[in-house]
Amino acid sequence: MMNEWIPLMVVIPMLCAVIVSAFNKWSKPIKILVVIVAICIPIIPLIAQYGIHYFGGYAPMIDTVTGILYHPSITYIFNILQKIFIFVLGIVTFLVVFIYVNKYKKASGQYLFLIFMGTSSATALLLTDDIFNMFVFFEILALVQVGIVAASRLEGNFEMALRYLILGAIGSPIMLLGIGFLLATTGSVNITDIVSAIQNATISVKSPIFLMSCGLIFFGWLYASGLPPFHTIKSGIYSKAEPHAAALLQCFTVISMISILLIMYRIFHVVEFFELLVVIFSAIAMILGITLALTQTDFRRMIGFLAVGELGFIGLGIGLYTQFAITAGLFQALNEMIITALLFLGFGAIVYTTGETDTRKLGGLLQYHPKVGLMILLGGLAMAGVPPLNGFRSKLMLIQASLSCGYPELSLLAIIVSIATFVVFVKMFYTIFLRPKPKELEISKNDLPRSMIFAMGILLIMIVVIGICPNIVTYGISQYVGGILL
Amino acid sequence: MLEFILMFIIIVSAILALIQSDLLKAAILTGFSGGAIAVLFQILLAPDVALTQAIVSAAIVPVFIALAVKKTRRDDN
Amino acid sequence: MAYTQLAVLLTSGLLVIIGLFAAIFIDNIIKKVIGISFIEEGVNLFIIAIGYKTGGVVPILIPGMDKSWFATNAAYPLPFGLVLSSIVIGASSLAVMFAIVMVLYKKYGTLKTSVMLADHSHGSVNDE
Repeated sequence: MMNEWIPLMVVIPMLCAVIVSAFNKWSKPIKILVVIVAICIPIIPLIAQYGIHYFGGYAPMIDTVTGILYHPSITYIFNILQKIFIFVLGIVTFLVVFIYVNKYKKASGQYLFLIFMGTSSATALLLTDDIFNMFVFFEILALVQVGIVAASRLEGNFEMALRYLILGAIGSPIMLLGIGFLLATTGSVNITDIVSAIQNATISVKSPIFLMSCGLIFFGWLYASGLPPFHTIKSGIYSKAEPHAAALLQCFTVISMISILLIMYRIFHVVEFFELLVVIFSAIAMILGITLALTQTDFRRMIGFLAVGELGFIGLGIGLYTQFAITAGLFQALNEMIITALLFLGFGAIVYTTGETDTRKLGGLLQYHPKVGLMILLGGLAMAGVPPLNGFRSKLMLIQASLSCGYPELSLLAIIVSIATFVVFVKMFYTIFLRPKPKELEISKNDLPRSMIFAMGILLIMIVVIGICPNIVTYGISQYVGGILL
Repeated sequence: MLEFILMFIIIVSAILALIQSDLLKAAILTGFSGGAIAVLFQILLAPDVALTQAIVSAAIVPVFIALAVKKTRRDDN
Repeated sequence: MAYTQLAVLLTSGLLVIIGLFAAIFIDNIIKKVIGISFIEEGVNLFIIAIGYKTGGVVPILIPGMDKSWFATNAAYPLPFGLVLSSIVIGASSLAVMFAIVMVLYKKYGTLKTSVMLADHSHGSVNDE
């Protein structure tokens, strides 16, 4: 059964990106176009039916001799997990585009090109069932992130972009090498085919080539998701992008992390130490993220490191590899996308009014911007895991999962990191909003754009709704995990 | 025999490109290496890839490097 | 000529190692980028070598060819398709890198990575 909506989820933003960059001169029509497309992006996954799309219409074939099913074309699979994540990504993209269009009088076609290209490739990463297709979009996503950082007018952005690009240009051929090894052993790049080749024992899971490819793709995943040793560069990327773009960048990071991790799980879960590897790197990310966040004075860097630490929670959940734990990890991924986007937007508002990012020079902003302060407070509490917000639900699930898997150490670590997140957050909130305003601090622009408040409000509503009834997401994710992965 | 000569050219010109102190020469040697890889692709039964590689690696990438060198500086320090 | 595939695999490995060495240890940014292009080319060469078949033919079906003979003798074309996209991606990321290098050269007046990409943010925080 063909489902034409599935490729459109990738094609529409990509087409919009190309059109927008080609007709850069007409600012007004571009603005209208991007807002329309940005509204469409979250709506498409809601109306599309679940299904599988074969590009070119080449349906799978059965080898008459061996009886094995082959997928000759690039395959996209659309299911409830993809629906939820593409919807949230679409919402964040819409809010970012909305803020951008309202903030700048003259829309830059190239910048909007980067935003839409990034959304399109993140969507494709979620949908794809083809490991080389995954690699291509992984590369595009890396280039898009570099472009967004290079386009911001902050000090030191080009250095950060070049550093990220050089690391990426080393990391992605390494990942391609891993894909090459897999291709050499299985003769296919379709993940379903690779998995069935492993299950039919046509390739040995203990062969050094297979383990080598596991290691190489794992390295590529570490780069894409910004886990250690790439945590510093990842938080640097966030802090050198404009705040609304940073909100989108962290969405891209979370999505590439979970999609590549799920793909790796389907292929490599037969390798004994694979789950341990994921859990170890996630635990290191949690510890490093929170300790580095405690030492920062620049609040953008602080949020960046907190975001990296939260990525560790996701890896922890998925790494434990039971249905409940993977559901918890994916739910945490969803929550982190929303919460971190809210925090980046909120701190973007502070940068907008004061032009200052150093927490030591800020203070007393609550009386100027009480709405922003309240929303940031709620976002931070959600991130730290305070009931009844959504972060609490997913972190509780994670702790239960690690307890039921027999790792009380991990749940203890998760609780400690949550408390430390709370401490970081309260400290930051106090220095920025509550303590008396320093005399040198000038509030240059007192009127915040309404679009910013609106965007934060939408994200806050999502946080509260998911926090009050988490079943609307967890039930579907749990079904998906039970059906596809295990 | 040709393929072994080509492999030798690839490796030697890659090393020479990296120990060159004149960056323009390094650009030309990179093109050498890329062109040799293109011919090797032809021998390895991939003519379509060989065409792309010949254009990209033997022409476009050296031009990129040469442009970057022209806009920056020619010596390597 | 049965050793061709093995020799190509060794060459590609050597190319990747040369590139990695350059990308990590050479200070000059342009040479670093050249090294990165060598890594990419080495990986491409490796993937092409996977599809190679000793004594095979080019995987293009010409009218009049016997199909079963073609199926057993043609090289495996899937890796070739992958390398096509990989080459283009590599070239475009190289172009972005050179663009950023040009901007940074204007700022610092040097091509040394140790000067260009040194951690400036930490220094300024400590000075205050």
